[in-house]
Amino acid sequence: MERQGNVTQPPENEMDKLLGQMKSATSRLREVLRDLHDRLVTRLDGHIADYIPELATANPQHFGITLCTIDGQIVEAGDYLQQFTIQSVSKPFVFGMALEEHGVDHVLSKVGVEPTGEAFNSIVLDEASNRPFNPMVNAGAIATADLIPGKDYPERVKNLLQTFSNYCGRPVHVDNAVFMSERLTGHRNRAMAHLMRNFGMVSDRFEDSLELYFQQCSIAVTAHDLAVMGATLARGGVNPLTNVKAISAANVKYLLSAMLTCGMYDFAGEWAFRVGLPAKSGVAGGIVVVIPGVAGIGLYSPLLDSKGNSIRGVEACLELSKRFGLHAFEQGFEGPTLRSQLQSSRGRHSQS
Amino acid sequence: MISTHSFRGGTGKSNTTANLATLLAKAGHRVGVIDTDIQSPGIHVVFGFDQTRAKHALNDYLWGRCRIEDAAYDITSHCVGKAHPEGDRPKLFLIPSSLNSGEIARILREGYDVGRLNDGLHDVIDRLRLDYLLIDTHPGVNEETLLSIALSDTLILILRPDSQDFQGTAVTVELARRLEVPELLVVVNKLPDGMDMEMIREQVEGAYRSEVVALLPLNAEMSRLGSGGLFVNRFPDHPFTRGLEGIVRRLLSGRAAG
Repeated sequence: MERQGNVTQPPENEMDKLLGQMKSATSRLREVLRDLHDRLVTRLDGHIADYIPELATANPQHFGITLCTIDGQIVEAGDYLQQFTIQSVSKPFVFGMALEEHGVDHVLSKVGVEPTGEAFNSIVLDEASNRPFNPMVNAGAIATADLIPGKDYPERVKNLLQTFSNYCGRPVHVDNAVFMSERLTGHRNRAMAHLMRNFGMVSDRFEDSLELYFQQCSIAVTAHDLAVMGATLARGGVNPLTNVKAISAANVKYLLSAMLTCGMYDFAGEWAFRVGLPAKSGVAGGIVVVIPGVAGIGLYSPLLDSKGNSIRGVEACLELSKRFGLHAFEQGFEGPTLRSQLQSSRGRHSQS
Repeated sequence: MISTHSFRGGTGKSNTTANLATLLAKAGHRVGVIDTDIQSPGIHVVFGFDQTRAKHALNDYLWGRCRIEDAAYDITSHCVGKAHPEGDRPKLFLIPSSLNSGEIARILREGYDVGRLNDGLHDVIDRLRLDYLLIDTHPGVNEETLLSIALSDTLILILRPDSQDFQGTAVTVELARRLEVPELLVVVNKLPDGMDMEMIREQVEGAYRSEVVALLPLNAEMSRLGSGGLFVNRFPDHPFTRGLEGIVRRLLSGRAAG
């Protein structure tokens, strides 16, 4: 009896994954992202963050973009597996941890949700309430990090990394070189923490919280990871790749509204106006964007504009939002939908 | 884009693909054939293509060593005839896979980016201005098979009247449905003399809910040729050639290709 083929049948969900991978590889969106990448990668203006030496070593050529839908379909282009530190992109997610643990009223007694015209690292608190303006500026993020649960510092670190692992769908780690630099040079952040301690806005374990803040900023991620994190928020807090719950659905709206109004530094207003999607950028060049109920987008390119946002990242989002009508308040859009772009590109060459 | 696939080896897939491509070209089209059977390439033999002539193969493209069109060879004069050597149509191009054992081993060991294969298939159609691209796949289910099914406008499934083929093909049909292939055509090949053709057709169409476009006879001439040339050129009036011509008419009427 001849035996041929030697075909092993993977389990059903493995086949689903493989078919999903094929659908992504052949989707129209792959062409769209590839084209977007090729056009924007030639832009070499802007500067790389250099307040610590570890960030200054980033390669200005790098540009990666990933889109992950809420059902786990992933389309990506460029250097989407290049690692970088998450920096301020971590802030909304830690804000989420604080909301989960303490509830919205307590959290809002420690940090506001007002956009500020001040720089992200300004040492300014609301004069009436002594609160930092919002969780996306450094002072607010330190106040939020103070709310990370756990009986002691090691347990709080563990909780922090577990939460980010849940969002990414893989175990995440801290880039130690960046962490050490951050804590050695973070005098301004230390000053802010002490000022907030003075007003009783952070607890007596604020020194640990400051360390946690430096840790959260130094988590190593990729554009692929950021897309999965964004998709988790887009799906009401459940990771689309692992089905693990990272945050309760009820708290997702608070994260997203803070991101929409305060997520892009001093560009937040114009971002909300033009792109119209909740997003958060980081000084290493990462941006996470959430299209609620649809998908997450992760972008990485270390060249920053004067406001501290990734130039190619912002450009890519402006174009995608406009082209596929992704703005939260879009009405009567008649162009192609993002969903249509997730279909197979077959038929592209068909003769009429 | 047209993929030919069989669940098991030995169905005559490469022979059928090569001969179909030749007939399509002879009908006045620009046709490309790509051998994505990276693990066991073979269709070049049917075309009488000398691999030592090839500077680049599909493997080189997948590793980023050349553009996809650099691995495409014009085999029109050899396979289609010398009717219009400088003309725009017909044209027949072959993109072979490497026969170098090191190249084959590397693909098996390291894998490759299926997205890059996708980009290459689109690019070669655009850059060689192809009317039809035929993709010859590896038997069974693997990544390049699934990708080509996901991309193709038409999937041609080739099987023998054999219960192993019959069961295995059901797996491919299910995958093709899930990848939403617009057109699924079945070819039953190597039918022995005296088999009830209509019964086979009914069985296959009933089981797969797909159209049987050809029932091709098992033929001694094909065996004697031993993949040593293009059957349709050698035996233009043979029932096998007639059967393939039926498939070509079906494909041309569909105009689903490109």
